[in-house]
Amino acid sequence: MSSDQDQLKETDTEARFEFKKEEKSAFEAEKGLTEETIRVISEDKDEPEWMLERRLRALRQFQEMPMPTDWPGQPDLSEVEIDEIVPYIRPDIDTRGGVDDWEDLPDEIQDTFDKLGIPEAEKNALSGVGAQYESEIVYQNMQERWEEKGVIFCDMDRAVQEHEEKVKEYFMTKAVPPSDNKFAALHGAIWSGGSFVYIPEDTTVNMPVQAYFRMNSEGMGQFEHTLIIAEENSEVHYIEGCSAPKYSEFNLHSGGVEVFVGEGAHVQYSTVQNWSKNTYNLNTKRAIAEKGGRMEWISGSMGSKATMLYPSTILKGRGASDNHITIAFAGEGQDIDTGAKVYHNAPDTKSTIESKSISKDGGRTNYRGLVHIADGAEGSSTAVECDALMFDNESTSDTMPYMEIEESKVDVAHEATVGKIGDEDVFYLQSRGLDDDDAKQMIVAGFIEPITEELPIEYAVELNRLIELEMEGSLG
Amino acid sequence: MSVLQETISEETVRELSEARDEPDWLLETRLDALEALDDVDFPDVIRTPGRMWTNLADLDYESMVDPFSQTETKEWEADEGIDVLPFHEAVEHEESLVRDAFGSVVDPETNHLTALSTALFTTGTVVYVPEGVDAEDVTIRTTMNGRSLFNYTLVVTEQSASVTILERQDSGEDLDGARYYSGLTEIVGGENAYVQYGSLQDLDQTTYNYQLKEADIDTYGTVDFIDVNIGSRLTKASVESHLNGDSSESKMVGAFYGHEDQHFDIDARVWHNAEHTTADLVTRGVIDDEARSVYEGVQNVGAGAWDTNSYQRENTLMLSDESEADASPKLIINNHDTEASHSATVGQVDQQDLFYMTSRGVDERLARNMLVEGFYVPVLEEIEVEELREDLTERVRERLQSRD
Repeated sequence: MSSDQDQLKETDTEARFEFKKEEKSAFEAEKGLTEETIRVISEDKDEPEWMLERRLRALRQFQEMPMPTDWPGQPDLSEVEIDEIVPYIRPDIDTRGGVDDWEDLPDEIQDTFDKLGIPEAEKNALSGVGAQYESEIVYQNMQERWEEKGVIFCDMDRAVQEHEEKVKEYFMTKAVPPSDNKFAALHGAIWSGGSFVYIPEDTTVNMPVQAYFRMNSEGMGQFEHTLIIAEENSEVHYIEGCSAPKYSEFNLHSGGVEVFVGEGAHVQYSTVQNWSKNTYNLNTKRAIAEKGGRMEWISGSMGSKATMLYPSTILKGRGASDNHITIAFAGEGQDIDTGAKVYHNAPDTKSTIESKSISKDGGRTNYRGLVHIADGAEGSSTAVECDALMFDNESTSDTMPYMEIEESKVDVAHEATVGKIGDEDVFYLQSRGLDDDDAKQMIVAGFIEPITEELPIEYAVELNRLIELEMEGSLG
Repeated sequence: MSVLQETISEETVRELSEARDEPDWLLETRLDALEALDDVDFPDVIRTPGRMWTNLADLDYESMVDPFSQTETKEWEADEGIDVLPFHEAVEHEESLVRDAFGSVVDPETNHLTALSTALFTTGTVVYVPEGVDAEDVTIRTTMNGRSLFNYTLVVTEQSASVTILERQDSGEDLDGARYYSGLTEIVGGENAYVQYGSLQDLDQTTYNYQLKEADIDTYGTVDFIDVNIGSRLTKASVESHLNGDSSESKMVGAFYGHEDQHFDIDARVWHNAEHTTADLVTRGVIDDEARSVYEGVQNVGAGAWDTNSYQRENTLMLSDESEADASPKLIINNHDTEASHSATVGQVDQQDLFYMTSRGVDERLARNMLVEGFYVPVLEEIEVEELREDLTERVRERLQSRD
């Protein structure tokens, strides 16, 4: 085994995510969701009138929409009482929009991100970092050379003030309107924090930018908004990481992500989600790709109590393409319902979806995906591949793909397999001197390898480490 | 959401039942179904954001259902040694058999359309194969003549019995306006019994067609379905196998060919409820003109279904740009000792194959037609009844030749 693996063993991964900090805040909204709450939040952020109006309109839509309950086999959301959620907590820091030096943060917040290894990663492998604590970005920095080229990477709240025209044009108007679903509407009403990324024409940002979202308080909701605009022939890799310590009450994460992939541009969006197992993770992520643009979604869903997440891409321009790569891991008490949506709305568009899921100790994974090929999208092709690995008989593994094909000159293929971890494989590895745990971990690592090899090395390592942690519990 | 009209009433049901001299239990079952009509939903159809794959609830059943003008001609052919009886004769002669089995596989209150069918059916067939009897071919031919027809089929096989059945429907004289055909089929697959139930639906293109065929399969038993849909304006057809006995098996083969404005919504579902069970689902369909196909396949593996093998393949060939194909092959797996897979494809006639054929001097149109016919080979290979194999080939050929 590689030294990476050895190194992993020495790291107490659990401690890295599980620590709690005393809840300290400068401003905390009342529990629940009322027009008054929205007005107070908007005022606290000193927002322009149009944003307040958008929030209030989203709130009305949220109130009118029923909870989604009629999806076949969907996770149980009955525990999600919006009125019990603390929707907005502004941490106790002076600088709005985040400081640009970790040293300027209060000790406990600085310590949080140190433990998560963010400043270290920034030094080594990233073009820029945003770090959100509760509802606000507390740290935001980008290498100067990108600023000089006109790249913008800033806190979403600051973008509303400083890049108002762009935000006004793109914010929840084209990709994810609040009317999309109940949680998108909720997000539209009480969003806070997140990142705004703007890449000018012909600019390639060759090291990834990263945002890290940390929820520390019990019973809160985090609703960050990410807006990425990649102009013609530009290129960027955006990474988000998420975690929270575990509490007995539920937490809610309902992020919104909008990505605009310009002509010939290339955006990669990678997520490693490790929310605590009391968190409901209900996100809406959508990209629109213009002619020749390429969108890549890479998602690892390890944490949360229940996840409903189906990153979507609308292939709007001729020759646009999409790649989805997802790994889901569901352990005890977890219901990870995730997948992909792709709309082929132009000729010669291509998509591939690769999904790997692992369920054990009574966990449930479901691949739920939709591929739609519109009339006139001739020469389009899509290939969907889902593989599932099950550890035991208490677990569940479902696959629910939907294909809607309105055009005949296309190539559509879907394939899925489900199997158990092979006794023979385990036996073979044991006969080579590995113990049962190591054998199973190795088989899992091999199972997801086609996906981890697409990730930057740091994230592949991170993902393996998380899976190893997940597996330790029951196998040890 | 009531689709009930004056004539679908308790009086109607009583009158239908009385005219056929039915025993009380049957009348009660019909009345229960009638009463349930408003409480049960229409059959499940798939919805995705902004789209409903088939809209059944908005159909105007009132204009299509006429309980008292259900007329049909029916023919039965069978070997000696088994009972193939018109339903009401079977009720008379084999009452306890019918009573025990009726509704045991298809719950009349499964949905609105099964309840309607149970309340109003006037014709049907009971096939009974006693222990150890090997019955080669049973053929049931139904020609629908009236505005609406509700048909019922019951197949009961005892231990180690074996039977091959073909049931087909077509339409008699043309009528103005829409028609409605509804058929329920229940198959009780005995221990170590073998059933191949083939069905050829060739109704005229003014007919709205609903069919549910369900089998309960006992230990070592096998029930294979061949479900062929050619006719009708709109079809919602479900084939469902419950593998209840250890080592039971089911092969579910489907074929359809839609053209003009036909709409086929085809479901194949299997439940693995016991150990060492095997299911193989194979569906092949062609759509042409403005036809639309919807396919849903579901493989359910229960927590107690150790050592399960379950496979599903669905392929749709689109011959026209105005056609539409929706597909959703689903896996629901609750036991890890399972080997399961599914695949689905949608595409056109393969250009390389076509090129190969034309390079050998075959005229392009002929080459295309041959490739489409060849597309059905995996289905044809499974069919044991010659009449079904020949008629499917023939109907496909006719449709291909009528293309320009």
